[in-house]
Amino acid sequence: MDLSGEYRIPAPRERVWAMLNDRDVLRVCIPGCEELEQTADNAFSARVTTKVGPVKATFNGAVTLENINPPEGYTIAGEGKGGVAGFASGGADVHLAEDGAETILTYTASAKVGGKLAQLGSRLLDSTARKLADQFFAKFAAMAGGEPEAGAPAEEGAIAGALHKVEDTVSEAAHQLSDSAHKAEEALERQAARGVLGGPLVWGLLALAAIILFYIIAT
Amino acid sequence: MGVEGIGARVPRKEDKRFITGKGRYTDDMSVAGMCKAAFVRSPHAHAKIAGIDTAAAEKMPGVIAVLTGGQLKEDGIGDIICGWMIHSKDGSPMNMGANPALAVDTARHVGQAVAVVIAETQAQAREAADAVNVNWQELPAVASADAALAAGAPQIHENAPNNLIYDWEIGDAAAADAAIAGAAHVTKLEISNNRLVPNAMEPRAALADYNAAEDHYTLWTTSQNPHVARLVLSAFYQVAPEHKLRVIAPDVGGGFGSKIYIYPEEIVCLWASKKAGVPVKWTADRTEAFLTDAHGRDHITTAEMAFDANNKMIGLKVDTIANFGAYMSLFSSAVPTYLYATLLSGQYVIPAIHCNVRAVYTNTTPVDAYRGAGRPEACYVMERLVETAARELGVSPAELRRANFVGEFPYQTPVIMAYDAGDFDASLNAAMAGADYAGFAGRKAEAEARGKLRGIGMACYIEACGIAPSQAVGSLGAGVGLWESAEVRVNPVGTIEVLTGSHSHGQGHETTFAQLVAERLGVGLDSVQIVHGDTDKVQFGMGTYGSRSGAVGMSAISKAIDKVEAKAKKIAAHLMEAAEGDIEIADGEVRVAGTDKKLGWHEVCLAAYTAHNLPEGMEPGLKEGAFYDPANFTFPAGCYICEVEVDPGTGHTDIVQFVAADDFGRIINPMIVEGQVHGGVVQGIGQALLEGCQYDPETGQLVTATYNDYPMPRADDVPSFDVSTTETLCPNNPLGIKGCGEAGAIGSPPAVINAITDAIGNNDLTMPATAEKVWRALSASAVAQAAE
Repeated sequence: MDLSGEYRIPAPRERVWAMLNDRDVLRVCIPGCEELEQTADNAFSARVTTKVGPVKATFNGAVTLENINPPEGYTIAGEGKGGVAGFASGGADVHLAEDGAETILTYTASAKVGGKLAQLGSRLLDSTARKLADQFFAKFAAMAGGEPEAGAPAEEGAIAGALHKVEDTVSEAAHQLSDSAHKAEEALERQAARGVLGGPLVWGLLALAAIILFYIIAT
Repeated sequence: MGVEGIGARVPRKEDKRFITGKGRYTDDMSVAGMCKAAFVRSPHAHAKIAGIDTAAAEKMPGVIAVLTGGQLKEDGIGDIICGWMIHSKDGSPMNMGANPALAVDTARHVGQAVAVVIAETQAQAREAADAVNVNWQELPAVASADAALAAGAPQIHENAPNNLIYDWEIGDAAAADAAIAGAAHVTKLEISNNRLVPNAMEPRAALADYNAAEDHYTLWTTSQNPHVARLVLSAFYQVAPEHKLRVIAPDVGGGFGSKIYIYPEEIVCLWASKKAGVPVKWTADRTEAFLTDAHGRDHITTAEMAFDANNKMIGLKVDTIANFGAYMSLFSSAVPTYLYATLLSGQYVIPAIHCNVRAVYTNTTPVDAYRGAGRPEACYVMERLVETAARELGVSPAELRRANFVGEFPYQTPVIMAYDAGDFDASLNAAMAGADYAGFAGRKAEAEARGKLRGIGMACYIEACGIAPSQAVGSLGAGVGLWESAEVRVNPVGTIEVLTGSHSHGQGHETTFAQLVAERLGVGLDSVQIVHGDTDKVQFGMGTYGSRSGAVGMSAISKAIDKVEAKAKKIAAHLMEAAEGDIEIADGEVRVAGTDKKLGWHEVCLAAYTAHNLPEGMEPGLKEGAFYDPANFTFPAGCYICEVEVDPGTGHTDIVQFVAADDFGRIINPMIVEGQVHGGVVQGIGQALLEGCQYDPETGQLVTATYNDYPMPRADDVPSFDVSTTETLCPNNPLGIKGCGEAGAIGSPPAVINAITDAIGNNDLTMPATAEKVWRALSASAVAQAAE
């Protein structure tokens, strides 16, 4: 699977680069990210919990950065394992270009998936990955934009404030999700009992998407 | 013909239990203390197994045992075999790679089993299977047969250089080349025959129960041939000796070939039931069915057909690459050779034929016989060629066929088969009349006025079934004989049990076999019980596939009935003091011809068992058995005509008419035969329009593993069929039967594609002809026309 995209971030390139290297920013922006740890200079591990349909699973990913060229971009390579749901691995080139006071971020990613992820979700991967990428950049751009009108370089406090706002939204959403997750899990059990889904399954698509995001972002 | 005898349209006896949900399938079986198995399967198409850590799984709740391929090997369980030896043209035997029931050091396709968890419940087994940690070292994979043959392709089995299993040929290459060189016209096509997933309604299942006190195993399994399963499990896999293994195939919900083979799961359940000391059941989920049921077809072919100046076929040259998947399944080697290339004469007189077949390993699910098995591929090659040739030569496709038909029988083709009987003109005429072939131009014009592109296509198929003479298949490399057995047990009250080695998994044997008994012994269908599918009840049998149960299985029953009749007549003649030759059996009575002397059938049967007054020296009882080995294959043939309308805006194809005229020889139950044709044609339409099994070419991942991505035909994808039969009797079995189980799936795909290519004016179209492909082909032909 190949995926590429372009986003306009309403912030100068230096700042976008800094944000792309801020673990807290990334953790908040990656949909479903529970954990993001730096494991070495240019290596991270992440845990992302996500759902597809009625199925929920946790995806563990590892990413390394290469060709680091601040503030213009880097190449990332990674892999993620979702247990019974399968695996994903791949890489992405991320490039930041200046456009006045704003930054154009482009990426081209390629990934391969296996196991149930490929068997059950291959047709959904593109759209799901793109959707998650969009969600990520929507948050990222909102945070980067700081105070929308000002356009001035944001202070640390502004970022923290933005973070809070985003976290509020996330926790609200998470609250709503936990309700539906409960229902979804019941549905899953019913289906599993009927043998329809073959156990704790799929969901991994989202995980893949998260991984792709992760490529795009992590620093 | 009586109201219930041969030729009667009798409703199926078995339908009451199927329709009311009272069928008893393997998954319905239960024994005390039964545990469940869950398999750990490879997520990779090709990977080394650097280690398997079962410690975490073993500690999980409910887990009885976690077993791996290493243990299986240590216990001496044999590798899975392919039972038909094919030699390459250089004389070397086929390269069969080791195929353990649980992979030991390398997994070669996604879904290959590497370990099994036995636990108290299904959920526990699955949870624990997920906790088995396999250290995979991924290897490069290859999914398509031509890529696997290319230089530098990943090597799948050490003993198969370049992934080549065999390079086989049949026919006379020099003669075919000479015919093509001297031809007035040569039609050449590149043809692919798409890979199919069988999708029986009931997924595979196994329940194995080892009785330690008696050192005896019982296996309930979804098999088309329980005796063959027992033989192979015992002789080759050393799971248990035959007399210590009972195999039961109860109601089975469809097979289509995919349940002929003995799969890893059955072997592992048997082995694990002893090893873990508990009865073990496994039932495939639908994803496992997609990943592990043997697939069908998957050929890439180049074919050339040569004509002289009078449009007579003078030569045929075919080169085929067959994708076998990662391992050789039980009968895989026979499918693209003796079940395919031997049918490349079609219904035609072709003096020179040559076919070369290369069988190739890939990192995909193993491929084996699937409804038609080789014959659909042959028919598709022939009938696409003939229809294309007619267009190129500017002659009627029907008349080009007719001018080249075999007209005299027996006819010896240049590719082994000797056609024994047929009337190809009769089925062509019947189909053309049924389809109003002459009125097509009017219908096309009318469709055009509605903005639709209407096309017509035909296919005249011939197949070889009723497989097969044991001596013949033995000389061609088969590891088994293909006879059938029967035992007719007449009870003292005159009711009858027929034990057959055939196996019914949708064919309606309980009805048709009983109709034969009713016809011959004059008893009602209710007095006849058909017993099958249990090695403890039926002594031996070769099972059901290759449309063989009518021609071979019923012939065995017929021979056993001959013996029963003869003995009953001796008893009756003795009781009525008449000559044996004057005794007739009919309508439940045993009469002395030309007199009013008679006995009830039940009276004669009772006499056999009381034994108070039997002819001197006669043994008591009335029970006879027979083994029947046919003298030849049978050759069903027919003509299918398909008419389609294509929406030029979307490329969507509607099949608006489908006419089938088949010659199946003698028909026992026309309703059941029509059902077989309907089912086969729908499967063929599925192949032509919808079903295409796809692997990611780089990763070898199966990406069509759900019904979202692998569409099966539905009722609204097909029209109401016009099905009729013509009849020439098969001279090589006592009933004149040819077989009807596969014809529909053989003849329909080329008829459909011939119709679509006719409609869109572009012959460059591959199966499945999805709306997108048809739309693209339409656009391409529009561009080509604009350029002219």
